[in-house]
Amino acid sequence: MTVEEIRELIHLVTSTGVAELEVQRGENRVWIKRTAPVVTQEVMVPAPPVYSAAAAPAIAAVPQQGAGAAQQAAPAVQAAPGGSGAEDLTDPSLQPVKAPIVGTFYEAASPGAPPFVSVGDKVKQGSVLCIIESMKLMNEIESELAGTVVKKLVENGQPVEYGETLFLIKPN
Amino acid sequence: MFKKILIANRGEIALRVICAAKDLGIRTVAVYSEADRYSLHVRFADEAICIGPAKSARSYLNIPSVISAAEITNVDAIHPGYGFLSENADFAEVCETSGIRFIGPPPDVTRLMGLKQRARAAMKEHGVPILPGSEGILKSPEEALEVAAEIGYPVILKASAGGGGRGMRVVREAEELPNLLAQAQQEALAAFSCPDIYCEKFIERPRHIEFQVIADEHGDVEILGERECSVQRRHQKLIEEAPSPVMTPELRESTIKVLREALRSIGYHNAGTVEFLMDPSGKLYFIEVNARIQVEHPVTESITGIDLVKAQIRVAMGERLADIIGGPVTLRGHAIECRINAEHPETFAPSPGRIKALNLPGGIGVRVDTAAYTDGTIPPYYDSLIAKLITFGRDRAEAVARMQRALDLFIVEGIHTSIPLHQRIMADAEFQAGQIDTHYIQRFLERAKQEKAAEVQNNVAVLDAV
Repeated sequence: MTVEEIRELIHLVTSTGVAELEVQRGENRVWIKRTAPVVTQEVMVPAPPVYSAAAAPAIAAVPQQGAGAAQQAAPAVQAAPGGSGAEDLTDPSLQPVKAPIVGTFYEAASPGAPPFVSVGDKVKQGSVLCIIESMKLMNEIESELAGTVVKKLVENGQPVEYGETLFLIKPN
Repeated sequence: MFKKILIANRGEIALRVICAAKDLGIRTVAVYSEADRYSLHVRFADEAICIGPAKSARSYLNIPSVISAAEITNVDAIHPGYGFLSENADFAEVCETSGIRFIGPPPDVTRLMGLKQRARAAMKEHGVPILPGSEGILKSPEEALEVAAEIGYPVILKASAGGGGRGMRVVREAEELPNLLAQAQQEALAAFSCPDIYCEKFIERPRHIEFQVIADEHGDVEILGERECSVQRRHQKLIEEAPSPVMTPELRESTIKVLREALRSIGYHNAGTVEFLMDPSGKLYFIEVNARIQVEHPVTESITGIDLVKAQIRVAMGERLADIIGGPVTLRGHAIECRINAEHPETFAPSPGRIKALNLPGGIGVRVDTAAYTDGTIPPYYDSLIAKLITFGRDRAEAVARMQRALDLFIVEGIHTSIPLHQRIMADAEFQAGQIDTHYIQRFLERAKQEKAAEVQNNVAVLDAV
């Protein structure tokens, strides 16, 4: 099952009145359930406790297994209740900006300073999006493409792991 | 008292540390590469942080990633397991300066043990017998003869600038030495552009004997007996046991006495292993110190009843050895460990992939340390060890019998494993008699090859007769 197919299923759930949807194809199984308190989770069997403190409605991209190993678990994605008129977060063209290192996420250059980017801002390739602090070193994280910041998925001061999605950018 | 520790490792040893921490009521943080996202150690830790892509250099060996993960999870200490960063003195130092306890020896002790020549010198100073050798390069045939006479034949001539068998000659008698020295020098010059040769005592059929060390941070050192790890292939251990079938109580006692003093003097803390080679006459020669917990620690745990990983954590928390061990060290019974690898039992080709069926043996005297599970995938990026099968018995024969039973009940489908190889070794007369040394596996595989060839010939003969 591809990320696109899962996005379509999420879209299906959020845009209709469906509360719960389960799809099985071969060994892959996806279970999507609409709930009121919205938390981003990836629930696998067996379930690794994914370090994520995100409280805002968001959609987590399903992790792609590099070695092409068979998906042995059932990814269950709890999706945000459908569009309240704002951006369509199921837009398949949205590109995730993922943390290239482990550390603490900071949205601005220093406490009290204005954030590097806000939702709606246009960015260029190389624009600094945020800082991740690792071992007392501040690492500027730059955008790899030009586009518009559609979503910020982490909070200022939040610990982030390698590969964690920080922003969603709609490319130009 | 630690509240939370981070395990800077993966696979079965990460799970092993989680078990010890759970026993102590300490919370755990697992770190994992993207290839290990669905691993058992990630599943059973209290928290988990992804620290990088599959490649070890960018994940498990990535010091900033590991330390960052430790900082954001607020751990008190890091357990490095074995391999990876466990003997990296720089890493141990970074931990300390970051305010995180490193569960292992002090960085400068690890550093000293890593410099092989300096470690030898330090041990020699404290009366530990080391492998006799020339102090430096042999400058002439006359000097070579003198040195060899002092060491005692047989000796081995080795190239200073390289290894792999080139520039090496075994000399059994003084008459052959000048000739063989010239040959070795020529070969070394051709292979490494350097004709320098040194000389060492040569041990025919060496047995690999190692002693388990555990020391607290208050100057107390205990040695928990020895292990024999002679069944090796290409310097990789396949089977280990405790105690050694050829160790005498006198040799054990005298070696322990010398080691305790030596390690106390150099300020050793936490767990470690002192490796020796034993010659056919039963004499031990120091090879090196491994300043970490080792793969085969369970066989020592079986015969002493002491949880070594728990002991490591307790030592790092400042506890005293007397409280940790709780009495005199006694050795009881015999334990054997078979390393179950994801490889073909005959070609040794690596066999990563998905495990379709798994049945772990149990019953009296059987222990399995593994992070494998049904539907789990063995990734191709890391070592091939998927499980350790340990059996314990009142004596070696019982441990062997239990191992045979356990191997028969150990089912792994979907990948190749070394289980069939271990089954054949356990049934082998030489192994059962304890007549092993570091060349045993070569002999065993040769015999197996010849037996197979003979069988083919036999079948051909039978067909011809028909």
